[in-house]
Amino acid sequence: MREEIQAIQQAMEREGYVTDRAVATAVHLSMTLGKPLLVEGHPGVGKTEIAKVLATVQQGDLIRLQCYEGLDATTALYEWNYPKQLLHIRLQQDGDRSIAAREADIFSERFLLKRPLLAAITHQGRPPVLLIDEVDRADEEFEAFLLEVLSDFQVTIPEVGTVRAAARPSVVLTSNRARDLSDALRRRCLYLWIDYPSLEKELRIVRTRVPGIDERLAREVTAFIHSLRRMKLAKVPGVAESLDWAQALVALHATHLDEELVRETLGCFLKDEEDLRTVSARLDAGELAALSSPVA
Amino acid sequence: MTARSADLVEHTTRFCRRLRAEGLPLGPGETLDATRALGSVDLVDREDVRLALRTALLKRVEDAPVFDALFDSFWSGPVPVPRNPPVVPPDAEEERESRTAASQRKRSVESWQDLEELAVPAPSSREALGRQDFATFGDEELRTVTALARRIARRLSARPGRRWKLSRRGEQVSLRRTLREALKTGGELSTLTYRRRKLRRTRLVILADVSGSMDLYARLLLQFLYALQNAFSRVETFVFATRLNRVTDELRTPEYREALGHLSERVQDWSGGTRIGESLSAFLVGWPRLVNRRTVVVVLSDGWETGDPEVLAEALALLHRRAGRLVWLNPLLGSPGYEPLTRGMQAALPHLDVFAAANDLASLEQLARHLSL
Repeated sequence: MREEIQAIQQAMEREGYVTDRAVATAVHLSMTLGKPLLVEGHPGVGKTEIAKVLATVQQGDLIRLQCYEGLDATTALYEWNYPKQLLHIRLQQDGDRSIAAREADIFSERFLLKRPLLAAITHQGRPPVLLIDEVDRADEEFEAFLLEVLSDFQVTIPEVGTVRAAARPSVVLTSNRARDLSDALRRRCLYLWIDYPSLEKELRIVRTRVPGIDERLAREVTAFIHSLRRMKLAKVPGVAESLDWAQALVALHATHLDEELVRETLGCFLKDEEDLRTVSARLDAGELAALSSPVA
Repeated sequence: MTARSADLVEHTTRFCRRLRAEGLPLGPGETLDATRALGSVDLVDREDVRLALRTALLKRVEDAPVFDALFDSFWSGPVPVPRNPPVVPPDAEEERESRTAASQRKRSVESWQDLEELAVPAPSSREALGRQDFATFGDEELRTVTALARRIARRLSARPGRRWKLSRRGEQVSLRRTLREALKTGGELSTLTYRRRKLRRTRLVILADVSGSMDLYARLLLQFLYALQNAFSRVETFVFATRLNRVTDELRTPEYREALGHLSERVQDWSGGTRIGESLSAFLVGWPRLVNRRTVVVVLSDGWETGDPEVLAEALALLHRRAGRLVWLNPLLGSPGYEPLTRGMQAALPHLDVFAAANDLASLEQLARHLSL
């Protein structure tokens, strides 16, 4: 393994992010090739974490753009600060400057509200990490717009002119695959698929993120969650759910799973009525021991 | 460049070509990425090489099995150096390479199909219908085609775009303009200016091959074109075999049978030979204004060109420059083992934005994705 990749992996582990070679290699390549990294995977497998850890490792700021349906340029790129402009106009009322000059005043950079994309482009100092989270939730028009921004990291504001990035930010995009992204966007990016972690990896994650957890409890929790992932559930629990559950159990001073405890805490990792019934039925059938021991 | 890195670049390029033949959306940019990626990992570490290529070349997880299988067969050693460095003149080398590449491609397609058979679970009835070849379609299925055409049309119809324009009445107050106006009145907001989203209008131009080799698919494709034409007003439909015919008006008839009647009157050369290039040139000359950046041009043909492939390449290059998107649908692409090796298809490939199958419902469903700009 290349030293740099190993270093990234170690740095990520130091930040409490349990990772593997695939993730470290992808991050390394994204940095050396200067291309955005598109991370896909089921909800709760730690896609967003990659950007956060990357920012810490690079000692840069993290700028986050959360996508949603209907997201448009005024929320993603920039907007004029209208109240401030209005106040300024009122204060300058008595001046003898021409309207054109006053207009140039209020449509200058001072009155610009930088939204995440513009903030990332105009960022001073160390290049920041730009996280474009859940890009699959934005609509296709926005995706096309994003593509423009990502290809040359410059934007044109009619009143101000063209703004170019001093230093290209590192870009991480995440997608839960609610909608298929265009080939154009995919081709702009390097790609990383994060699957649910293996039993061993998840056990390491639980140990790292929930310090002080009883070893037996950690094993049972991860095995139980892994059993659930093999069942047909509406909302499959991710790593985030394992951690929530483990934390709750530690707070309850548990050292191992018992039926009552599991029933009381089902809500930590099951977020669907039907799923709750399915799992309760399995517990009724006395399957706790089978569910919480690793399958060969 | 050292001999070894030259070999590496060549090997990577060949690997990319193979992946592309398997349908991965890769271009020269990705080949370059792959080469650069290999430059920043440990080349004697096979896992490093695999992960680097995967990060650069895989664009969606569905393609992972194809990638992994091909990687295993292609990158057999830790360092990719050809065993017998070829000492042959460039021309001969190229010819040899294309021949072996073709036969290798064929082999890998076969093995990939075995893989897929293992991986795909038993299809539901809807999926089964989706996979049924058009050539064997009955009346019942044709109704499904109509429904599908409507769905595609809905996707194509005017949608609010991303950009705004000022208007006297609209959805939102344009604060930017209103503030500008307020400068004249000392900050008093006396007139509000509104804005609304510009509509995006996509036009669809379909050029369908109705020559003999397309006979099997003609019935269904006609039904599809008919349904599309009636569901969506900004479609222009042309058919061609040896000559080009505009059939937009013929298809725009409430009765399908009547439409078929009009069509056969209008079109003389059903199921003759195929002159794709000449037909497309005739389209460019005859209807130069139909194609602009807001137009999606769809060519429906199996690529069996009996005319000059050069003419075809030229016409497609021009179409590609003018149109918002150029899509080629080939019914044969869906059949197992098919390779776009006909002279016509070979000439066409470099100029296409999308090259996709059109032999079953599933492939037409996919089409909707390519049709909105």
